[in-house]
Amino acid sequence: MTNSGSALGAQALAGLKVLDIGGTVGTAYCGKLFAAHGADVIDVEPPGGAATRALAPYFPPRSHRQSHARTPNDSVLHAYLSANKRSVALDIAHPAGRAAFVELVRDAAVVLDASVGPRSAFDDVFAVAPSVVVSRITWFGQTGPYRDYAGTDSVCHALIGMVRGIGPVEGPPALPSGYQAQIVGGLTAYIGTLGHVIGIELGNRVEPCVLDTSIFEANTCFTDVGAVAAFNTGTVAPRMGVNRFPPTFPLGIYPCRDGWIGVTALTPSQWAAFGALLDLGDLTARPEYQTTLGRLADAATLEPIIMQRVAERSAEEIFHRGQALRIPLALVPTMEQLFTVDQYVARAAFGEIVHPVHGAFKAPVTPFRLYRTPAPRDAVAPTLGQHTRACLAAVGVDARRFDDLRRANVVVEG
Amino acid sequence: MRPLAGIRVIDLSMGWAGPLAARHLADMGAEVIKVESCERFDWWRGWEATEAWIAQNAAEQSPSFNTVNRNKLDVTLDLTSAAGAALLKRLVAIADVVVENYSAGVLPKLGLDYAELAKANPQVVMLSMPAFGTTGPWAGYRAYGSTVEHASGLPHLTGAAHWPPAMSHVAYGDAVGGLTGAAALLTALRHRKRTGEGQFLDLSQAEGLFPLGAHGILEQAVTGKAPQRLGNRSATCAPHGVYPTRGADQWLVLQVLTDEQWRALCDIAPPLRSFGDGADRLARRDELDATVAAWTRAEDSRELMHRLQRAGVPAAAVYDMRDVLADPQLAARGFWQMTERAYVGVQPGPVPPYRDADAPYRIETPAPTLGQHNRRVLGELLGLADSELEGLARAGVIGDRPVMPQGA
Repeated sequence: MTNSGSALGAQALAGLKVLDIGGTVGTAYCGKLFAAHGADVIDVEPPGGAATRALAPYFPPRSHRQSHARTPNDSVLHAYLSANKRSVALDIAHPAGRAAFVELVRDAAVVLDASVGPRSAFDDVFAVAPSVVVSRITWFGQTGPYRDYAGTDSVCHALIGMVRGIGPVEGPPALPSGYQAQIVGGLTAYIGTLGHVIGIELGNRVEPCVLDTSIFEANTCFTDVGAVAAFNTGTVAPRMGVNRFPPTFPLGIYPCRDGWIGVTALTPSQWAAFGALLDLGDLTARPEYQTTLGRLADAATLEPIIMQRVAERSAEEIFHRGQALRIPLALVPTMEQLFTVDQYVARAAFGEIVHPVHGAFKAPVTPFRLYRTPAPRDAVAPTLGQHTRACLAAVGVDARRFDDLRRANVVVEG
Repeated sequence: MRPLAGIRVIDLSMGWAGPLAARHLADMGAEVIKVESCERFDWWRGWEATEAWIAQNAAEQSPSFNTVNRNKLDVTLDLTSAAGAALLKRLVAIADVVVENYSAGVLPKLGLDYAELAKANPQVVMLSMPAFGTTGPWAGYRAYGSTVEHASGLPHLTGAAHWPPAMSHVAYGDAVGGLTGAAALLTALRHRKRTGEGQFLDLSQAEGLFPLGAHGILEQAVTGKAPQRLGNRSATCAPHGVYPTRGADQWLVLQVLTDEQWRALCDIAPPLRSFGDGADRLARRDELDATVAAWTRAEDSRELMHRLQRAGVPAAAVYDMRDVLADPQLAARGFWQMTERAYVGVQPGPVPPYRDADAPYRIETPAPTLGQHNRRVLGELLGLADSELEGLARAGVIGDRPVMPQGA
């Protein structure tokens, strides 16, 4: 299903200017979604670069002669997060830098921030841009006893109750990798921030709007239903082993003749079809196996049989035959295979980001598609301070003032 | 006034992801009308329906359903009937947004796909959110949040090298799919607000997990190799892991990322002072982990978490679900709001994770019961007379009690 293009030829978020002074994965991912759909997103970074510029993974050295010392332009994670944005290197902790920032803010719709502190810190911003949304994305929010605690992705995953369920029965429980909690925080903040931008455009909001998003609270989206269930039952499920989570069984990732198959059979009809697919025979019809909890209770019997049947077959065969029987099965592609999965190729799920120093690399595109106002698939990532002069000139910082700022180390040009 | 006051959403979605997407709009003040039918009620009310289950009103007691459907209205419409389909089109005609997550082919068969609904309302924003998107060879494939995680690449980034590819959650893709859906809807809604143009949107819930695996995908993209699966360790810093604490199955996450955090940890844990700088700690990681575990084993995980955090060291008790309900930070921020709901009594509900004041956005109404707002929506909003509503009820087009699904 498609629409013809926008009559205005514009992207969905055209005309919105977003300034990111947070420099975290959370603010950067939030800003990335704005940038992907046409907003003018400017990373306002300290002269040494945003914190995300130091985060792994990194581009490999371009030659054996290259020094191993990393520069602010060597993080591929940052390049991914900053695609379609511009970079201004400006020290907003310096009074002259703050004054220049306030000029940048004058026509902005959103300021993304990652600090904890009083709302009055933005009085100068609201004085020139009363309808701006200041969106603060922090680990624990602006209030409460943890507001100054040291958050990490793993700390969040532990406190939402997710870590406890991952891993072998005897422990230790396992930590998800990477920046997952912060990405979820940034995605959630995008929802709140854009909702409030629309609210202001609709005339539903007039007062200065400071939005407080807690990455911890955002991640409770994975476990809130489980917590409410625990409120009612007074019990919590034990950790049941790698890839085993109540209430669903069969559920897991099993080795096939050639790779892995992801299995979920939840409903009675899915279980019956799964039994037919793997020739489980009489087992499928046993009364005690007609509910998912009944099967889970006897997983020690069922799982070895399922694994044996799966191991005899190819993953592709089980996957497509199973899906034809309406069983929610999945291939389990490795990182390498992910780029060549036919479904993802057909949907162009990976685009190309060009980095001015390191060249082009493949990266996921925005996972939602607007058919009348599509996001461009390909993008460019900025080097540190690449747009400092142009962005400040656009808000009236003339050459003489710019040179003064540069001599005082308040701005850096990329 | 809430920011999305005046926006009307028709929520045809079921399960976790779609209803969560619509719930974010409801939380911000949109009027969200959830459409079920007596026979095809939201499967998250229960997927193993029996007559006894229906008789016990179990369809109204699902914590999962009730959590993701608060702040909504609920109508029943048998969309397989001409009258039900016509009423849905009348609702769409006065709506801004439609959300659906049926399997591919269901809405076209009912004559209710975007092409048809856009005839009723050319300005409508409509999101379809199947597991793998509405296009491509897997467009019709079925999936849950687990399936989506399986196919996302993430399992190859989780756990230790000797494990099979590992899942993080029973349905990791669902919540992310819901958030991605809300993001999509608001993006298109902003365009509609500015230009008057509606449009069709889709998302792939599997692709929705790619950003969560970006660290692995990007490393593969630029180096040609996937990152190693290190379990709970980090390639660059130590200690970094999950350590046993006092009591059965009690654990502490501890991550020392900076020299300053290491010094703060050593002030609290004297046995660790025999270890040196970061390089020394990485080189002696087995010994270090054993020393940390010997120290933490005598400690209470919650007490130790707060002691370490007050000193600036990233640490967290490994909570279970009851701990999540009792957490002091969530309590101080009023995160769990107690709300009375028919059939289940007073229940905790998570407030939205964004707020524009010290107090959170309150949950205005609990999840609706099946068909609870038939009269309000079909009568008051669409103007149907009582006699018409009675006729629809007699014909089984609307109702407020589940009917045993045929051929489930």
